[in-house]
Amino acid sequence: MRVKTVLVFVIAFSLFSGFFSACTREDLEQVEISDHTAEFAFPLFSTDLLMKDLMLNILNDTLSGDTLYINSDNSMTLIYTGDVAEKKATDIFNFLENGLVPIADSVSSSPIQAPDGVTVTRADIKSGTITLIIYNNTTDTVSGIFEITQMSANGVVFNYPFTVPPTPNTVWISPPIDLSGNILLSGSNLLEFKYYAYNKDGVRIAFPSINGGFAPVFVSFQNLTFSYLQGYWGYSSYPLTRDTIEIDLNQTNLDGNVKVKNPKVTMKISNSWGFPTRGKIKYLSFIGKDGTEYKLNSTIFVDDAVDFEFPDFTKNEVGQTKYTYLKMDETNSNIAEIFNAQPTRLVYEVEGISNANLDPNVIGFLTDSSNIKLSVGVELLLEGSADNFQTDQTLDLDFGTYSALDTTEIEAVEFKLVTENQTAISAAVQIFFLDENENKVDSLFVGGPQFIMNAAPVNAQGIVSGVTRKENFIPMSIARFERVRATKKAVLQAAFTTADGGQVPVKLLATDQVVIKMGLKVKTRL
Amino acid sequence: MRLSTLLLLLFLCVHLSAQQELMLQSAPELWHSNATNPAFFPQEKRLVIGLPAYALDAAHSGNLTLNDIYAKRNGIRYIDFGAAIDKLDPENTVHFDQRIETVSIGLRLSKKWALQAGHANRFTGAVTYPKDLPALLWNGNAPYIGQTLNIGPKIALFNWNEWSVGAMRSFGNLTIGAKMKFLTGVSALESDENHHKAEIYTNPDIYQLTLNTDYAFNSSSIISAFDTAGYGFRVSLGSLNGKAFTANTGIAYDFGFNWQLTKRIRVSASVLDWKGKINWTENANYYKSNGTYEYEGAVFPGTDIINGGDSLDFDSKIDTLNDIFKFVKTPKEFSTSLPTRYFASFSFMLNARWTFGASFYKQSGAQTHSALGFSARWSPLKWATIAAMYSVDDRSVANIGMQFILKPGPFQLYLMSDNLANVFTPRNTPALNLRAGASLVF
Repeated sequence: MRVKTVLVFVIAFSLFSGFFSACTREDLEQVEISDHTAEFAFPLFSTDLLMKDLMLNILNDTLSGDTLYINSDNSMTLIYTGDVAEKKATDIFNFLENGLVPIADSVSSSPIQAPDGVTVTRADIKSGTITLIIYNNTTDTVSGIFEITQMSANGVVFNYPFTVPPTPNTVWISPPIDLSGNILLSGSNLLEFKYYAYNKDGVRIAFPSINGGFAPVFVSFQNLTFSYLQGYWGYSSYPLTRDTIEIDLNQTNLDGNVKVKNPKVTMKISNSWGFPTRGKIKYLSFIGKDGTEYKLNSTIFVDDAVDFEFPDFTKNEVGQTKYTYLKMDETNSNIAEIFNAQPTRLVYEVEGISNANLDPNVIGFLTDSSNIKLSVGVELLLEGSADNFQTDQTLDLDFGTYSALDTTEIEAVEFKLVTENQTAISAAVQIFFLDENENKVDSLFVGGPQFIMNAAPVNAQGIVSGVTRKENFIPMSIARFERVRATKKAVLQAAFTTADGGQVPVKLLATDQVVIKMGLKVKTRL
Repeated sequence: MRLSTLLLLLFLCVHLSAQQELMLQSAPELWHSNATNPAFFPQEKRLVIGLPAYALDAAHSGNLTLNDIYAKRNGIRYIDFGAAIDKLDPENTVHFDQRIETVSIGLRLSKKWALQAGHANRFTGAVTYPKDLPALLWNGNAPYIGQTLNIGPKIALFNWNEWSVGAMRSFGNLTIGAKMKFLTGVSALESDENHHKAEIYTNPDIYQLTLNTDYAFNSSSIISAFDTAGYGFRVSLGSLNGKAFTANTGIAYDFGFNWQLTKRIRVSASVLDWKGKINWTENANYYKSNGTYEYEGAVFPGTDIINGGDSLDFDSKIDTLNDIFKFVKTPKEFSTSLPTRYFASFSFMLNARWTFGASFYKQSGAQTHSALGFSARWSPLKWATIAAMYSVDDRSVANIGMQFILKPGPFQLYLMSDNLANVFTPRNTPALNLRAGASLVF
């Protein structure tokens, strides 16, 4: 019995002790999660950069008149234009607009106050009035007719009947007399004014002069406008324009070397002035980054001047507009050589000269809509080569949720930057992250820019014939990630080089694009 | 809930499986054996009070053990899921059944009649999960770039209380018993059998994520929300604190008989949880994620980069990760059926010391399970019994069970397992079965 009892207790003890030792809470409560790293990968962003948008951005930085012209073959021409200079005919039409002509006797002459060097032989009055002013210091009521010999309407010489009572202490003033539709014809640049005045006995008289010898009759012109002027235009010079065209493509403080194939400077003149006008190029130079002046010389200019096309009176071209296109390219100028120096602006000054040849037989005309416009442009067909051409862009950043992440559980991050390049441009990129005071706190790449994008292959015409994909892995310590994710601005610096190290001219098409994508791997400690 | 906790729960399900309890079935003199057959009542006892008892039956498919999860370095025990994940099959199943009997009472009214009542809490379930799921949670998605991972588990988890009343009637040597159980559901999570696909693909390009889901489940009081913001996939759990009474109710029935054919031969059989069903109405929701979600990160217009004017704002973009796993939550009541369990046993008493027997167990329903065991019981003392059992079940043909019973005075103390080796070295085995408890019998 005693042996059995002992045996039972031994078995019981073994069972219970074994059971409880196997199930001690220590196992479950005093354990720790082993050091373990999990790695999560997810996409960050993607964007499509269209070459067309990139070039438009370059244009947007400059004048509103700049355009990106997409040619029929999708090639692009970047056109920088200056202000359009305009000389309107109304600048000349303002003679005789207002004035007071004294008429001392019953017949008087007065010269037409035309611009210098201009003799008006015909002037069609579009609108305006005259007023007749008479001081009748006789005792009779005087009646008569006022006449301007050179002015007529529908073949009838202008005349105005009047009756003037004695005005010993004042003057008689006629109501405004509308002159619209009248035509002034003068071969001598003179206007002749006449009045036929009769007293109560029907005797023709001349109004006596006012004490002191002042004329008793005046003609006042008000708001006279003309629809047509004809006459002789002598030699006369006037400024047309002085302007500057900014060439942003080359405006950067960074190094680089861009060669543009066959750049052009164009000059377009639209002219409806009916007399010969010569454009005198007083200044036409490109300015380099360092301020160096590069004078643009071209064989299309003779003595730095060129005659503009004009509507010819003798050919009955009144009302027409004639155009003059001037193109300075590598065939007729030194522009290609100048562009090798990457000029940043074009400065030009043009002066207009009428009847530069002093031809005494030149009969010209102006209408009230005549003007002369001159525009200068720089045309860059986006075909060329670039070697380490650098530009920069400042971007606002907001890492949002990433900024608030608890990085104590993060060991490291690795960015994956993917480019799918359908342009003939390779790019080396560096991104500097800026703090609120715009101080650089870190950069994307350690040790300088890295090539993130290889140029796509091009065919013999320099046109892209494929897509090049490049993957870039950018590891970043958690300390750096901490700094970067807190930044609010980034400066993207990119250096572009065209295919074959910038040695081969390539053509940039509007449809060229670059897809840039970025993913992120995050190693976290569990 | 942290990922590691989620993983631990997944693997620790090893600790918890369909409760065969063959050894308990072979000991009808124990009051707690009434849990396997309502016709069992200690002989010649008038009043019994069941003190707390704990029973656990759990198993993980394959050969995964806790030692594969725990590692010890420098005296400190660590949890390392890496080795465990390596041992997983492409598809793995964890099933468990936990029973906590809090209190029960039995009263023999006469030689023919006896009454009984009691309370128990049960937690049962099965999770079938692809290897990809813990691998993704533990390692992240980066190691699986370019691969499509299947991460949709099939889940059935139920926790409920049983409030039982019953009676037994003796007809000579035949005793029949019946028990009605009022069920109050605590929590439930059951995936929709027709919608359990969830695949995730990480594109090698810039790690764009594609999730293809047709996944749905019913939940009552377990899942309260999904938060997939940031880098992880956090699941907000509801309170798991058991409530004794809830609006989730149901009924189940137990029937059994115990027939003493001769002085030496006894046979018994029972049906448990018959017609058992719980209607889940409290915090009952249907969660469904259906569609193909692609997250490609923020898409900035090229002109924004070129012009540099607008801010490159990542903030609103990453939030769209929420959309990837977005489950549509719809309030919906549902019901679950309890698996019906069957027991049968036979015993032959050789003499006062030795009894030999056989026990059979079968579970029907969504998770079927069966076991057959042969036992030998030795009672060296009137108040002590030691038993051993060889059993065969669905996952092993080499289970050696052990039972130790002490009956000093009115006490009944016992410890048993259908697989003894698992009890002593639970970290070395993929399955565990044990039961312990105490009663007072008068």
